[in-house]
Amino acid sequence: MKITLTVNGDDVALDVEPRRILADVLREDCRLTGTHLGCEQGVCGACTVLVDGEAVRSCLMLAVQCDGRSVRTVEGLSGADGEPHPLQLAFSAEHALQCGFCTPGFLMAAVAALEADPGAGAGDERVRALVESNLCRCTGYEPIRRAITRAAARLAARPGA
Amino acid sequence: MEGWSRREDERLLGGRGRYVADIAVPGCLDAVFVRSPIAHGLLREVRCDAAREVAGVSGAWSAADLSDLPSCAPSTAYLRDLPPVPYTGVARLSTKDAVAGREWPSLARDRVRYAGEAVAVVVGDDRYAAEDGAGLVTCRIDPLPAVVTPAESATDEVRLYDGLGNVAFQAAAGRPIEDHVWRRAAVVVEAAYRQQLLMPTPMECRTILAVPGDDRLTVWAGHQMPHRLRRELAATLGWPADRIRVVVPDTGGAFGSKSPTFPEFVVVAFLAVKLGRPVRWIEDRMESLLAATRGRGQDQRVRLAADAEGRLLAYELRIDADVGAYPHLAVGLPLQTALMATGPYLTPEVHATVRSMLTTTMVTYPYRGAGRPEATIALERTMDTLAHRLGIDPAELRRRNFIPPDAFPYTTPTGRCYDSGDYAAALDLALRTAGYDDWKAERERRRADPGALPLGIGVSCYVERSGGEPGALHEFAAVEAREDGSILATCGASATGQSHETTFAALVAESLGVDERRVLLVEGDTEELPEGVGSFASRSAQVAGGALKQACDLLVAAARERAAGLWELPVEEVAWSDGALHPARGASAAMGLAELVKVTGPLRVDGRFESGMAFPFGAHVAVAEVDPELGTVNVLRVVAVDDCGVALNPAAVRGQALGSAVQGIGQALYEGIPYDGDGVPMLPWGLLDYLIPTAAEVPPITIAETSTPSPVTPLGAKGAGESGCIGTPAAIVNAVADALRLDDPGLLQTPLTPDVVWRAAHTRRQEAPR
Repeated sequence: MKITLTVNGDDVALDVEPRRILADVLREDCRLTGTHLGCEQGVCGACTVLVDGEAVRSCLMLAVQCDGRSVRTVEGLSGADGEPHPLQLAFSAEHALQCGFCTPGFLMAAVAALEADPGAGAGDERVRALVESNLCRCTGYEPIRRAITRAAARLAARPGA
Repeated sequence: MEGWSRREDERLLGGRGRYVADIAVPGCLDAVFVRSPIAHGLLREVRCDAAREVAGVSGAWSAADLSDLPSCAPSTAYLRDLPPVPYTGVARLSTKDAVAGREWPSLARDRVRYAGEAVAVVVGDDRYAAEDGAGLVTCRIDPLPAVVTPAESATDEVRLYDGLGNVAFQAAAGRPIEDHVWRRAAVVVEAAYRQQLLMPTPMECRTILAVPGDDRLTVWAGHQMPHRLRRELAATLGWPADRIRVVVPDTGGAFGSKSPTFPEFVVVAFLAVKLGRPVRWIEDRMESLLAATRGRGQDQRVRLAADAEGRLLAYELRIDADVGAYPHLAVGLPLQTALMATGPYLTPEVHATVRSMLTTTMVTYPYRGAGRPEATIALERTMDTLAHRLGIDPAELRRRNFIPPDAFPYTTPTGRCYDSGDYAAALDLALRTAGYDDWKAERERRRADPGALPLGIGVSCYVERSGGEPGALHEFAAVEAREDGSILATCGASATGQSHETTFAALVAESLGVDERRVLLVEGDTEELPEGVGSFASRSAQVAGGALKQACDLLVAAARERAAGLWELPVEEVAWSDGALHPARGASAAMGLAELVKVTGPLRVDGRFESGMAFPFGAHVAVAEVDPELGTVNVLRVVAVDDCGVALNPAAVRGQALGSAVQGIGQALYEGIPYDGDGVPMLPWGLLDYLIPTAAEVPPITIAETSTPSPVTPLGAKGAGESGCIGTPAAIVNAVADALRLDDPGLLQTPLTPDVVWRAAHTRRQEAPR
């Protein structure tokens, strides 16, 4: 089935089997391998990407469902000039990753929340709820919580924010 | 590097990490395994014909079918049958005796011995096609009774191997304790514990990609021991090791579980070689929960004797371990528990025995802690019960029995020689950090208030072993000075998330006195280093760190020799400082390494470093409130004080300590593998059934440290990273027991699900309050 996805701002024409999940199409057909599969049942959230700005588990969505829609992956997180996103820098500063396998999912869940509502990073409880949505086996989560809080403060302090 | 805390971070945060599944190889086939739904039975027939007709499927085979598989290259025609799974030869994990008469076919041949055992493999153009094919493979298995527990196994009523008993390994540490010791003791606590089976659950499951070419095989795998994998795959194929290259790219966690040669790895390597095509296997989570190795799995009985003042007199630990269906990977692992049974105490007599029992379940293998959590939990839970029976504060009881700092090196009754320690310092810091006295006051307040939820405080002190076992206490490293001024360092360690690129590059830079940006660290490629051991047993900082330090020293010595020749000076008159050579006299100017290499040729030193065993230790405190009506446990506070000697990278150590503590919480409260009556794991909904902690389950945790350098390594570093799995579980269980004022620790068997806690609370009410 022929579909067009706008992936990280670029239109990509694809011919995919209807049964292929979005994660596999991003990884195999678009060669965007930053999106990882940790459970293929929607629990771990490592495969979280943004579809039309909303965080989704790309293992639970078919690529054909995204025809004509905009998909954003971890590869599209940095600025056009290659400048890292404040979330990326904050994750590093807070040691919010070790093996890095779950990390893209946390980044994308966080960016969706912060872009939808910059206040999402302000309250402890809201950040905690955000971190609760995904699984990490290395860090113990607290550094991830701190990183999102740190990035949210940084984003809020940006001119025009 | 600018703006990034670790060298790994820029690529991992940018989605540019490269894990095995990310590597694109043209023409690569995806392998999918067909697995037995039955735990134990005679395999009568496997039919793959229908699978072979599926579009996109290139082949489907049972073990018997593979005997007829023609080789695409004449050079592999000698390879006929699919080779069996090799056994672990390192760290006493398995033995020739244990595997004698017990072959582990890489695909089941005549019998299946665990649910999830692979009976056929299907390869296709992609995973979708291969799974379509796998769905059409049929097998006929005549069931035999399942054997799930060590107790069932011990009867030998159902034998896993005809003509052989189910006890595959026995060992003991220490000397048997005579009856009079127990008779004369003021108190003897007896208890039984079940150390439940756990799934390591790295976020990336197992992976392998095998690419043949020019009579060689390049294997990419998420792995902790690339040189071992090369050695074992080579032996399996009947090849010299240098025809195989193993590369470990980014790996999504391991926690001990990614160091053997798995049956699936043998199949993939065999197929790649026979078919002359790249083949990969990317395990999915459902498969992993069924067929990846598990940790722990011990039934324990203990006796602990003390005099009226609480001085320990004797400790006995009897372990019946369920090691799964095949003794090949880690039948000897429970011996680690026996050897560490003494813990941090001066107990004069300790005796620990091990029986490793075969069961019709997947194989048990190291999981973070690997034998030490089982030792610590048994002892520390019993210590708390002893304290309550004697009416001594649990912390005070421990203080009275600690091996004192001036007693090191200290040889335990179970045969370990502890290198250094200050156990009381760690405990004192943990108690102070937790606010022990305040929590005790709160506990008493709640005990007087019938409306308050009961609160308990748990203490757990541990000593563990790092570095490995004799025969695997060494590591290889090489350091090369290059003409462009860069330093290439490589070692046999293999990171799966532990920040080696950052930590070891800094270590090399500091050792040589050069700018860190000049140092490049390469790991996990057998082509870069002829020999290597790997990352397990908390050994990388201690052993590989020592090897890199030694290689740097050798590089400096070699550079001084060369400069001495160049300058016609005795070598003693060539000084080394700040990454440069300085003549003591004469007209020559100081010379950097790059210049020396330009003048005198390539300079690389390879070294082998032998470490001693080190013994990290610590003290963990947990505070929990329990709702006896709901059976729920609310952990209010965890303090983990760990001592790993000199921490090479304190941020990395703390990060691992925290993650490890959360895994310890999972072990205490949530994680376990239930089996049904037919011996099939009951985890049908994957990670919705196997509950690793989410952020919602993480209480406030404080990580703190003391630092007692190890005298057995040049850097003073002991192992780090496993502490939370070792120290935290007993602290939490002790807190719950304290809250419920239980005298029989056997009432609380982990994981402490609401059902377990409710039953324990209910039983307690029928007893007289203690």
